[in-house]
Amino acid sequence: ATAANMAALSGGGGAPWRRGWLPALQFVRRGSKAVTRHWKAMHFQRQKLMAVTEYLAPRPAIPPRCLTPRKGRVEEEDNGYARLLRRQVEEVFRDNRMIAVCQYNSMPGEDVVLMRHYLRKHNIEVKFVLNEIVRPVLSQSKYKNLLPLFVARNILLVSPELKAKEMLRVLKGVPQINLLGACIDNTILSRQGVENLAKLPSLEVSQGQTVGALALLPSQTSSLLQRGSAYLTALLDEHIRQLQARETGSPAEPAPAQSSG
Amino acid sequence: KKMASKIRVVLRPVKSIVVRFCPFESNVESTRKFLGCINHKKVQATNRNCEVTADVRHDGSEPLIDVMFADGERLIMKGANLTTIEMLTALGSKCNAKELMEEQKSKKKSP
Repeated sequence: ATAANMAALSGGGGAPWRRGWLPALQFVRRGSKAVTRHWKAMHFQRQKLMAVTEYLAPRPAIPPRCLTPRKGRVEEEDNGYARLLRRQVEEVFRDNRMIAVCQYNSMPGEDVVLMRHYLRKHNIEVKFVLNEIVRPVLSQSKYKNLLPLFVARNILLVSPELKAKEMLRVLKGVPQINLLGACIDNTILSRQGVENLAKLPSLEVSQGQTVGALALLPSQTSSLLQRGSAYLTALLDEHIRQLQARETGSPAEPAPAQSSG
Repeated sequence: KKMASKIRVVLRPVKSIVVRFCPFESNVESTRKFLGCINHKKVQATNRNCEVTADVRHDGSEPLIDVMFADGERLIMKGANLTTIEMLTALGSKCNAKELMEEQKSKKKSP
């Protein structure tokens, strides 16, 4: 109470032109000061004042939904890492004969390592790629038709040799990787195409088949041409045999020259 | 906005899921993401017997998701104009409904 009186007296003394008393008494009675370490509710009048004077953001005349959206800014990739990755992708596309694009659904780690190991044995490398890096590279190169493949998570299986059969066998053992398409020797193939390629016989066999097919016609021609003289020789042989049979049967000897005609 | 990989679907009443799409088309993104989310470890852990098959074609057909439930019911979702989240929530709600039905049945059987 003494402190309250002192406050009132000093308030009165500090502003001698005011003939009133400062209503500081009511606050001090509660027991805590104005600045506390715990959260203290504001006075009700102060609460009302704060609520009334809250900041309201100015609303634009036309809501932004109605305006046509501005074109998203095209970020120039000055990021050195992205440039490096892009260069790597370009190299990959240049160096390898067979590039297969597969969808990657999350696989347990050991399976990934095993699959990599099996594919390594056939000299097939597994590369994880990011779509945002591959897309600009592809759109500038001649592989525009591979663009729609690169959505969602993908991996690339690249190899300088064509080992479609082995690759398909390994991928069959891994259910979480789905072959989408491949670019083999600059030819874009779908999954069906890759399977057909795997079913093709090897190069030597197909070469032998081609040679056989090519040699078929001339051999037919030659056999046709030789048919007349072959028929004649066959007839003569038959005649000689008949004459010899008659000779052994009866001692008469007809000259074999008479029969020629 | 929810992330598609956060949605957890309980695949217990599901027998098999076949996802068919043609990767060279332009409307397959949501279907492929759906396939990726379904193959997540946690979703697969809810039902080890559920076979998820991906059918990759090249005949210009639209993306299709064919879900076969254990009680013979079939759910076909044509993903050409659906988003991943919509498809996942639809499948999730179907699975939950089936689970509730099964729980009620088992409660009725064993009073």
